[in-house]
Amino acid sequence: MSFRGTTGAAAGATAAAGAVARGRRAPRGLRERRARTGWRYTAPALIVVGAVTVFPVVYSIVISFARVRPTYDGLRVEEWTLANYTTMFASQAWLDALVFTVGYTLVTVAVELVLGIAVAVLLERLEVARGWLLALLLIPWSLITVVSAQLWGYLYNATYGAVTWFFGLFLSEPPVILGTPAPAITGMAVADIWKTTPFVAVIVLAGLVRVPRERYEAAEVDGAGAWTAFRHVVLPALRPVIAVAVLFRVLQAFGIFDLPFVLTQGGPGTATQSLAVLGHKSLFQDLDFGMGAAVSSATGVLVLGCCLLFLRLFRSQVDENAEGGRNAEGAA
Amino acid sequence: MSGGRYRRRRGVRRYLNPVTVGGLFLVVVTAAPLYWMAVTSFRSPQEAGASPPRPFPEDPTLENYRYALDAADMDRYLLNSVVVCVSATAIVLGLALFAGYALARMPMRGRGPVMVGLLMISVFPVIAVVTPLYLVERELGLLNSHAGLIVPYVAFHLPFAIWMLRNALLDLPGELEEAATIDGAGPNRTLFSVILPQAGPALFTAGVFTFTATWTEFLMSLTLNSENDARTIPVGIALYGDRYQVPYGVIFAAAMAATVPIALLVLVFRRAVLSGLTDGALKG
Repeated sequence: MSFRGTTGAAAGATAAAGAVARGRRAPRGLRERRARTGWRYTAPALIVVGAVTVFPVVYSIVISFARVRPTYDGLRVEEWTLANYTTMFASQAWLDALVFTVGYTLVTVAVELVLGIAVAVLLERLEVARGWLLALLLIPWSLITVVSAQLWGYLYNATYGAVTWFFGLFLSEPPVILGTPAPAITGMAVADIWKTTPFVAVIVLAGLVRVPRERYEAAEVDGAGAWTAFRHVVLPALRPVIAVAVLFRVLQAFGIFDLPFVLTQGGPGTATQSLAVLGHKSLFQDLDFGMGAAVSSATGVLVLGCCLLFLRLFRSQVDENAEGGRNAEGAA
Repeated sequence: MSGGRYRRRRGVRRYLNPVTVGGLFLVVVTAAPLYWMAVTSFRSPQEAGASPPRPFPEDPTLENYRYALDAADMDRYLLNSVVVCVSATAIVLGLALFAGYALARMPMRGRGPVMVGLLMISVFPVIAVVTPLYLVERELGLLNSHAGLIVPYVAFHLPFAIWMLRNALLDLPGELEEAATIDGAGPNRTLFSVILPQAGPALFTAGVFTFTATWTEFLMSLTLNSENDARTIPVGIALYGDRYQVPYGVIFAAAMAATVPIALLVLVFRRAVLSGLTDGALKG
């Protein structure tokens, strides 16, 4: 933390210098003019984002409270009702999808975080071919999810898949990986972890190189074991980057669609039917727009809830970032 | 276990330590599925369906590639993807540079809520917005067009790019800007002459992230551009497999055509990508 502290202090000093400089000119007028310029610079981006994301979200929520009928020129609202939600809450399919999505998210992100930190530490200590290994890790990350889903589908194929063949060497008969719920869910999680751990590792590594090596080496010299030094010196310093990585991964995993859609089509049965797959199915296969909108909106609300909860939990990190912003602003 | 101790080792022993062995393991785990995909794209259908699997292609053929690009329309899907993703990335970078700079440096009230709002939007599940987007685009006649995909791609990938650029710009030292301001440079001038030259790596990284995210996007493309002529490569690959027999050779040939250029880009520019990711953090 003190490393960040020193940069903060340095930025503070520059801020003070800037304030002195501004003090000789009109400080309030300049500040207001810069704020107006700031909004002018930000407005185009905010307008595009708002028009294409906020409007559809609101529309979706409105539709979720209506009984609608698809017609040739759009949806016709037949009556305003809570029926979509009562149907949804009573539906076993929704409950299953919710349980699956939450459980899947928690498990995969936890595994990815542990592996990602391990990989980042390994990369940081690696002396040979570090750049090449990092580049190799970026390949699964940059891979189209659909491609990775097809690839793992091939590896898991019951008659000629390489993974199936490999397990067949040890088991009395080769497993049908995508044909039974538990192996299918595990298989999907493995495909996901293979593809997304590099993202976590790269983000954590970016934070890890910020921690000066001398700090934890000093702790080790002082008699702390490598693990203790890591836990008490490195991990606390990594909290902000870990927070960012976890937030992104949790919310991405929560909206998971591509992988189950291609790899398992939500099956066997509905074992891997995520909320997004269920929403898509209601909307574009069953053409049940009200129900689809309810599932989609509920997913959106859950994601927002997660996000807010997360921001509360990691308030210190967010504040710290904002603090950095205020310091740096003075320097400009 | 200190990393420092490994430094002093020379010769073969230098490579015989837990870190390098772990690195090797990581290489194998990461590369094996990729190898399998590459090899299968050169196999005949008989060989791709052989059990037990053969580690090397016995009779390598380019037939899958020829078929994918000629008969399976993958060339069209690739072209659609290039047009959509290059346009979206360029627009995202342009808008994000201004917004990121303002949010990093300008004393605007309400920057915090804006940043948090952007963060939330950047992780918002696509499923929650795809129906209304579909209905609006149908109304405007934008379905199955390049523009109909570029606009939502820009909107959905802008927030993350703004966050990345804003964080990178926060880490830049402020002295040059201060000097420029004192010398009488306006904000536009400061942005283009002082910030832009320093923001190269950050822009490149944001560009790589945005391009990759749009190149791999599936749900919006599946919903908005479902007609054969308008499909992007992920949709083409996903729907091609939607048959009784999945022609994996052809799928992987198309997948190779869609991923090898990106992978090469990442490998060639790995220094820029990594320095964009790590130097920005170091500069703080």
